[in-house]
Amino acid sequence: MRLPRLRTPFQASDGLRSSEDMDDYVAECDEHLSAARQCLLDLEDLQHHAVSRETLDSLFRAFHSMKGLSGMVGARAAEQSAHNLESYLSAVRKDPSLLSDAGISFLIDGMAILEAKINNFIRDEPESGVDVLAERLSSLLPDQSADNTKESDLPLAEDDPQKDGIPPEKLEQLQAAVSRSEQIWRFTFRPSTDLAARGINVGTVRSRLQTLGSLVLAQPMTTVGGLEFHFYVTTKADAAIVDMSLEGVAAEPFVLQPQTNISQKTSDSSLRLSPGNLVRVDLSRLDELVRSLGELVVSRARMQDILTQVATHLPGKERRALDETVQTFERQLRELREGVMRVRMVPVRDLFARMRMVVRDVTRELGKDAELIIAGEDTEVDKLVVERMADPILHLVRNSLSHGLESPVERSHLGKSAKGKVTLRAATTGGMLVLDVEDDGRGIDAEQVFDRARKLGLISPNGSVDPTSILDLICTPGFSTREEVDRTSGRGVGMDVVRLAVEDLGGSLTLDAQPGLGTKFTLRVPLSLVIADVVTISVADQIYALPKTAVREVIPFEFNAPIVLENNELIRHHHGVLPLLRLSDVFRLPRATGNCVALIIGEGAATFALAADRAVGLREVVVRAITDPLVEITGIAGATELGDGRPILILDPIGLMRLARRLGMTRTVTLGAS
Amino acid sequence: MSTTLNADNYVVFTLADTLYAIPSNDVERMEMVEHVTPVPNSLPFVDGIVFSRGRVVPAINLRRRFGFTAIEYNIQSRLIIVANENRIVGLIVDSAREFVSIATEAVQPAPDVVNGTSGRYLRGVANVNNRVFLILDIAGILDASVV
Repeated sequence: MRLPRLRTPFQASDGLRSSEDMDDYVAECDEHLSAARQCLLDLEDLQHHAVSRETLDSLFRAFHSMKGLSGMVGARAAEQSAHNLESYLSAVRKDPSLLSDAGISFLIDGMAILEAKINNFIRDEPESGVDVLAERLSSLLPDQSADNTKESDLPLAEDDPQKDGIPPEKLEQLQAAVSRSEQIWRFTFRPSTDLAARGINVGTVRSRLQTLGSLVLAQPMTTVGGLEFHFYVTTKADAAIVDMSLEGVAAEPFVLQPQTNISQKTSDSSLRLSPGNLVRVDLSRLDELVRSLGELVVSRARMQDILTQVATHLPGKERRALDETVQTFERQLRELREGVMRVRMVPVRDLFARMRMVVRDVTRELGKDAELIIAGEDTEVDKLVVERMADPILHLVRNSLSHGLESPVERSHLGKSAKGKVTLRAATTGGMLVLDVEDDGRGIDAEQVFDRARKLGLISPNGSVDPTSILDLICTPGFSTREEVDRTSGRGVGMDVVRLAVEDLGGSLTLDAQPGLGTKFTLRVPLSLVIADVVTISVADQIYALPKTAVREVIPFEFNAPIVLENNELIRHHHGVLPLLRLSDVFRLPRATGNCVALIIGEGAATFALAADRAVGLREVVVRAITDPLVEITGIAGATELGDGRPILILDPIGLMRLARRLGMTRTVTLGAS
Repeated sequence: MSTTLNADNYVVFTLADTLYAIPSNDVERMEMVEHVTPVPNSLPFVDGIVFSRGRVVPAINLRRRFGFTAIEYNIQSRLIIVANENRIVGLIVDSAREFVSIATEAVQPAPDVVNGTSGRYLRGVANVNNRVFLILDIAGILDASVV
C-alpha cells in the first residue's frame, strides 16, 4: 500500500520564488525522483534479463514530467538534464536493443546529476559542475535522429491542445471522470497586480475552484507576456458553473479526445492505485493537529481532576456514568493520537533504496565488489526519524564498504566469496526502530583500537582495558583522523557524529564486531518523536519547562503582593483573585524576593497561578520520557534539553497542584513566619 | 588457563576509601560527572537525572545510598551507567579507574562482619593479591523499597 507522501527532502528557498508553485515543484520532483530511483534499481537488477516495457515507460514518464516541471519554473539546467535522459529512453523504447550497460550507468549517473540540478535550483545555488550528459548521450546514440528528440519534446500549450502538457496519469484521471459522465472544465487564470490588490491570487482561485468540483490538475503555463494557470476541474454533468470573470478567471468546457494509446495502456497494464487516493500533507499541518491533540489531553486531565474533587457530592449512579465517560474519552483520545502519529509514518524503503545507489557508487570507486541485502524495508517510522537517520546510515554503509569489506583479492585469499555482503535490516520492537548495518568484512581489531587509544591518551598505557569499550573509543571525536588508523582498524570516521545523531533522538548505538567475520552496528531510535512548545522559567537558578498549551498567561507580580487568606495565598488577576502556588514551596527550594512571575494555569474554577522567579522564554523541544521509577515523580512530565546537553525537567502543572493539595501545601506559610 | 576461564571482569571503583567491584557486563559506560539536574521530591539518594545516550537516567549518589557523608563532585568523581533488567541508572562514585578479572572461586559470601551500611547490597567479597573488593549487587541498589 502506498502512503501519503509527505514533503521535505528539499528546502524551498525563501527567495522570490518560494511561492506555492515552488512548493509544488519541490514535492512533485521529489515524487518523480523516487519513482525514477525505483525504476532504475529494477532496471539494474534486470540488466541481463528482459527489461519490462512498463519500467521503461514509467522511467520515461518520470523524466518527462521533471523536464516539464523544470521548464515551467525556469530551472533550465535541470530541464536540460532531464531532456537528455528522456531522449535516450525515448530511443530505447523504440529499439530495446539500444539498452546497454553503458546506457544504464548513463541513466543512473544522469539521475544523480538531475537531482543535483534540481536541488541547486531549489536552494538557489550556482550550478555545480558541467553537464556531461549531452556528450555521453551522443556516444550512446551516435546516429540519433532528430525525430527522437522531437517526439519527447515538452508539448507547448498552443500547438497541441489535446495534450496541453497534461501528465499521462492526470489524463487517465480526466478520462475516468468522463467515463463517469462528468464534465471537465478548464479554467484559465492570469494573475495580475490589479487582481492581487483585490486579494485574488492563485491560492484563492484554487480554493474557490475546489468548491465547484474535484480539482484534478493545476498547471502553471508560460505564455507570451507572462504566466497563466490552467485548472482542470471535473464536476457533475449538470453542475452550474459560476461566472468568475470578475476574478480574472475564464472557464471553458474541456473536451478530451479519445486517445488510443492511453486507453490501451490502462486496459493492458495492471491498474495502478489512482493518484487521486493520495493526499500530500505538509508536516506543519500535522504538527498543528498534534498540538491541538495535546491541548485536548490537558483538558481531559483537568476534567478528571475536577471530577475527582466533586465525586463525593455526586450520587453513585451519576458518578459512575461520568467516570465511564471520562475513561472512554481517554481511550478515544489515545486512538486519535495513534491515528495522527500513523499518518506521519513512512516506510524506510526510500532510505534503503538510496543506499543501493551508494553501494553501487562506492564499490565502483573503491574497486570492491559488494551486494546490498535489504530486509524489513516496509517498516514504518515517523518521517522525521527517517530523515534524521539518513546521514548516520549513509555513514555506516560507507564505512562498511571502505573499511569493513576487504578487497576482492584479499577476500578470495581468506576463503571468503569475492563479493562482499552488506546487510541493511529494519525492524521494530517495543516502540523502537532497530536498524542494523552489517558487513561480512574484517571486523574490528580490538588491539589496534586500544593502541590508538593509548597513543591518544584515552586509556592509561599499561592498565587493562574493558573489551566492551571499543565503541566508546571509536566514537570519540577525532579518534581516527589519521589515515593509517582508517586503513587498519577501520572505523571511526564520523562515528562520533553517528552516535550523536542517534542519541539526539533518544536512541542508542551498539556494536558487535567479530574479527575476520564482520561488523554489525545496531541503531535503536524511537519510532516517533514528541515535539512540544514549552515556556521556560527559572526557580532558584534551576530552569524548568512547562507545556505552552498549559500556560494561559504570564503576569509579573511583586513578592509581597499576595493576599493571605486563611491557608491560601491569593493574587489579583483581572477582576478576581486566584490561588497562588509557589514552585519554590512545592520543590522545597529557597523563595525568591522582589519581582516574580506568575503563570496562569487552567480554566474556570480550577484556574490557579504558579509562581516562578522568572520567565525565560519560549522553545520548541523534543520531549524525552522519564521512565525509571526512581525519578517518576508527580508533577514532572518528562525531560528535555535546550541544546547544551543539560537535562531540563518538563513540569505538569496540574499534577503539581494535585501534589500540593496532597501535601497540604495550599496552606501558606505566612510571610516572615518560620 | 582454567582459572582464567572461570573469571569474570569487574569494574572497580572507590567510595569512602573502600574498593568496590561491579560486574562489567552490567556496566554500559563510565563518564565524568556533569550536568546532573536535581529532581525535586525524589528520594534523598537520587542526585537527579542525566542524559546518557539520549535517555533520561537517574543518578544515584552511592555515598548517600550507603549512608556515608556526601561529598562535592570533583575531578575524580565518576558516573557509572549500569543496566539491569530493563533499567538503566547512573551511580555516582568517588573514582573509578580500573578493571579487574576475578576468578569465580575467589569470590566468597560477604562475612557477617561486613554488616555496615553497604552490607545489604553485597553479593560477596573477593581477595585478590591482598586487595579486598566488595562485590555489589546492582539489583539491591536499585530497589527503592530498600532504603
